[in-house]
Amino acid sequence: MPRVELLDAETAPLSAQQYFSGGDPGPIVAALATVPELLGPALGFVGPALGAGAVGVRIKEFAILRTSALQGCSYCINAHTTVSLDVGLTGHEVRALRGETALEEAFVLAAERAMIGWIDALAGATGAIPDDVWAEARAHWAEHELVEVAVTVGATMFLNRFATGLQLPTSPQVLERLTAEGLS
Amino acid sequence: MTAAQGPIADAVRDGTLPGRVWLYSNYHCNLACSYCLTESSPRSERRELTAAQMIAVAEQAKELGFTALGITGGEPFLLPWLPEAVLEMVQHLPLVLLNNGTLFVGERLERAAKLAHPGIALQISLDSHLPDINDMARGPDNFSKVVESVPRLLERGVQVRIATTTAGPLDSPALDPLKALVASWGVPADDHIVRPIVRRGRADERGLGVQAIARDIPSELCITADGAFWGSFGPTVRNGRLDTDLLLTRTILPLAVPANALLAAIGGMPQGADAALGIR
Ligand code: SF4
Repeated sequence: MPRVELLDAETAPLSAQQYFSGGDPGPIVAALATVPELLGPALGFVGPALGAGAVGVRIKEFAILRTSALQGCSYCINAHTTVSLDVGLTGHEVRALRGETALEEAFVLAAERAMIGWIDALAGATGAIPDDVWAEARAHWAEHELVEVAVTVGATMFLNRFATGLQLPTSPQVLERLTAEGLS
Repeated sequence: MTAAQGPIADAVRDGTLPGRVWLYSNYHCNLACSYCLTESSPRSERRELTAAQMIAVAEQAKELGFTALGITGGEPFLLPWLPEAVLEMVQHLPLVLLNNGTLFVGERLERAAKLAHPGIALQISLDSHLPDINDMARGPDNFSKVVESVPRLLERGVQVRIATTTAGPLDSPALDPLKALVASWGVPADDHIVRPIVRRGRADERGLGVQAIARDIPSELCITADGAFWGSFGPTVRNGRLDTDLLLTRTILPLAVPANALLAAIGGMPQGADAALGIR
């Protein structure tokens, strides 16, 4: 059960109506709509931060799914397991990013491993990030790409805590898909 | 004193934005009228603004370029600090104070008498010249309390307006005896407001009044303890739940935040689009 009322097309404030005109916009929007002045700015940040960007959707889903797993957010793990499959990650890769199997077996490319190291250092630890993690990442990726992924990790951590704190429910469609894929 | 500058002041000056800012001082009430928009009653959640918030709204409203204030509830006179706060607010802008006119006896009357000020008008509800009809919607003895209160306030130099909420046509001849009663107190015809029941809040639960959507409701900025709304008919309560369809922002201060949100929301709506149903 969500901890807050999830607004719908009838109860959504005027300035949030646009997000409800195409049907149910999902629980993140439905919860954010209760503070309408934050809805536009939050989505304006999260949308591009989680979108394809310069590094592309595969790397973005590494960042989102891995961060969500490290933060223990079941809502985001569920949602981005399906998105990850949609953009072409294998079930094996998804399981590894979710922390269920060894990363080394799923990811063989040095560049991808370096990126996952950067993501893990950002989302899975506190305090300073060791120089060798940064150096390894920079050996394979441009500065702007690592900046972009840092923004994605930050936006994902916001969503993780938002969804977890408010106990947002995973949609039945996503749960069905996860069951069908053997990834529930 | 230089005129206020900025987009809000410009919008008020050119008529895009109404000049009045409403404040819901509180939601609880000593009455429980059948058509109440806020389901107010003695047991209602109070949802009070503080005196400091109300004074800050008045001050910032003036700075932004608004031209008037309105206070409503609930019954504002249940708040013991209200008259003093209102006297501070009127230092910034003139205001109308809506109330049910049933609490003006003893000490409360003398406190209300302090509001004899050219910038303050008390708007008191009275729905019929027939006590039974009036009291059917507004509760036992409401008529007699109001007709006793109005002359008492006027004697003390307090400006009084009368508001009549009706289920019938706004220009019905059936209202003529009530208009005559109001005129007999010396209240000018322009200060007797006749308005329809709006189908929100308790009126909606009981199927009373006219259906209203945003463009039917005057786009006045309305500040409550729960946030800022489009219009004084925005922050209604239905089955104990605060309606959020006309919510603008949860932020109320600085007032520029909700004021700019309202300005953005009315963008594209034709001027005067809210006049059709006579809601005011
Ligand atoms: S309509 Fe006014 S007087 Fe009647 S219950 Fe509501 S707030 Fe009180």
